[in-house]
Amino acid sequence: MESRSKRWTKSLIIVWTGVIVLFFFVPIAGVIISSFGKSRYFRFPVRSWSTKWYDQTLNANLTENLHITSFYVAGCVALIAVVLGFFGALAFARYDWKGRIFYQRLIMLPIFFPQAVLGLALLLWFTYVGVLPSWEAAVFAHLVWIIPIVTLVISIQVYGFDVSQEEAAFDLGANRLQVFREVTLPALAPGLFSGALFAFLLSWGNFPLSTYTSGADSTVTEWLYTKMSSGYTPMIPTIGALSVYGSIAILFIGYLLLIARRRRNEKRA
Amino acid sequence: MAEGTPILRIEHVTKQFGKLAAVNDVSLDIVDGEFFTIVGPSGSGKTTLLRMLAGLDKPTTGDVLLRGNRVNDVPANKRPTCMVFQSLALFNHRTVGQNIEFSLKMRGVSRSERRERCKELMKVVRLPEDYYAKGVTKCSGGERQRVALARALASDPDIMFFDEPLSAIDYQLRKHLEVELKDLHRETGKTFIYITHSLEEAMVMSDRIGIMQAGNLIQIGTPDEIYTQPLNKFVSEFMGEVNTLPVVIGADGKFDCAELSAQFIGPAQSNRATSGYLVIRPESMRFLNEPSQADNHVSGSLFNEYAMGSRVQYHVRAGNQMLVVEKLREQAFQGNLNDDVLIGWDVKDSVLVND
Repeated sequence: MESRSKRWTKSLIIVWTGVIVLFFFVPIAGVIISSFGKSRYFRFPVRSWSTKWYDQTLNANLTENLHITSFYVAGCVALIAVVLGFFGALAFARYDWKGRIFYQRLIMLPIFFPQAVLGLALLLWFTYVGVLPSWEAAVFAHLVWIIPIVTLVISIQVYGFDVSQEEAAFDLGANRLQVFREVTLPALAPGLFSGALFAFLLSWGNFPLSTYTSGADSTVTEWLYTKMSSGYTPMIPTIGALSVYGSIAILFIGYLLLIARRRRNEKRA
Repeated sequence: MAEGTPILRIEHVTKQFGKLAAVNDVSLDIVDGEFFTIVGPSGSGKTTLLRMLAGLDKPTTGDVLLRGNRVNDVPANKRPTCMVFQSLALFNHRTVGQNIEFSLKMRGVSRSERRERCKELMKVVRLPEDYYAKGVTKCSGGERQRVALARALASDPDIMFFDEPLSAIDYQLRKHLEVELKDLHRETGKTFIYITHSLEEAMVMSDRIGIMQAGNLIQIGTPDEIYTQPLNKFVSEFMGEVNTLPVVIGADGKFDCAELSAQFIGPAQSNRATSGYLVIRPESMRFLNEPSQADNHVSGSLFNEYAMGSRVQYHVRAGNQMLVVEKLREQAFQGNLNDDVLIGWDVKDSVLVND
């Protein structure tokens, strides 16, 4: 019967979605719950509750420095990757030129290269040309891996952009700069934004490239790894949980800004 | 302006892409205020020609003159012309109002003045006033057409170009917009240069029509001239269903049609052609009771009939040719399929064209 099979499909979809959501969020929820535990060890179920690890984590200058380093690295990576990825995407998706097919294949290669090997190779190369491992070197290492991804993300937006919009603007009296500012940039903005977001998050969470190239400037992921492999402290789930709170806060602020902008546009119109 | 000076003159314009001449030595004068349509199949070079007139492409050789001034090197944003694109090229991230006001904003017109002008234009193209703040992506196909029209009109161009803007619109709405466009041409008094692959569309709207084939502008004329005196077989068949009979002209001046094993009386030839195609429009074909009722006749059998609203079309099989006869509905032919029929036409309704 039609309606019965439909109901079946519907309930299957609900169950399936529920399972996937659980699969995604149970580990994160686990970390958050354990960050409120009193004991010195990561264990389930939590027997007694406390916020003392939050006090310790927030008071330790150590993590502040880690976060600042990670933020610098991810911020620089996002900025540079979007600028280079934008031009790369124009070459990738918009203009027809002789070596385009070759370029489209070539630019994908770094993504498939194992990151740990890539990190080591970059370290050897840095040493050879005399660059000391530092957060700046880590930015460079991240870029090697992240720019191809950002280029692809922005390319999708470029593919969907009707070039005749630029010609129309030009025909309507705009000069080249005005065409770019009024038409091209706003039309591609969603792609640039997601490119930047991807770049920031991939850099923020990167461990294999940072560990080889950042030298004395430790990032959050490096510190977490070191602490987990030797000298576990309950600050680890706490820092993990704090990252989640931070992300939620940033998402929320972004959402508010979006609503504010929409309101302002409606009022102006 | 001196009488007779065309607003736009195209002199021996050629556009070469590699070895291919997309536009080949085209010369044409456009009169101020006329509605000129360039018709041709895809790949005939009509869009390339239009882009050169708009300043989006440069001719390889030849000149484009605007009111007597050579404008080959004047880019699109400095020309007093505006184009409505095939894709419409609306700014999708903007509202209807922002789209229409774009050229005014680029010119530095104040916001209040822009808005006032926009409201006027929206009235001209019949867009509801409350569409001002609507996103263009939320508009229907017909509404988007109107936005594109208003946006082009806002820059107050001397010449408006149209690159098949109606090609993606369904039949009903297209017919409606064709009429509106012709009315808009009358109201604004601007020069319209329109391109399309539909001669039917061109016939409805244009003062003059130019036919393009493989980069060449092969015939220019009023809709009536194109209709009654097509230059060649290509033009005659481009206009829709016509009867084209291959003929050889004998020494006695008779037209021999081997395919129908028949002899016809054809129009008088000034250029002494020895062969060609005899073109007879379906509405000039008549059903006959006896051969003497027309100058020429062919016998065949009624293959099928098609009701087309106010008209009825009949296909008559004669030899291995399918001949088309068209009648008004109230004068419909009374007969059954597979009936033997006699059809014919008068000499004055036939044209001899070459290949």
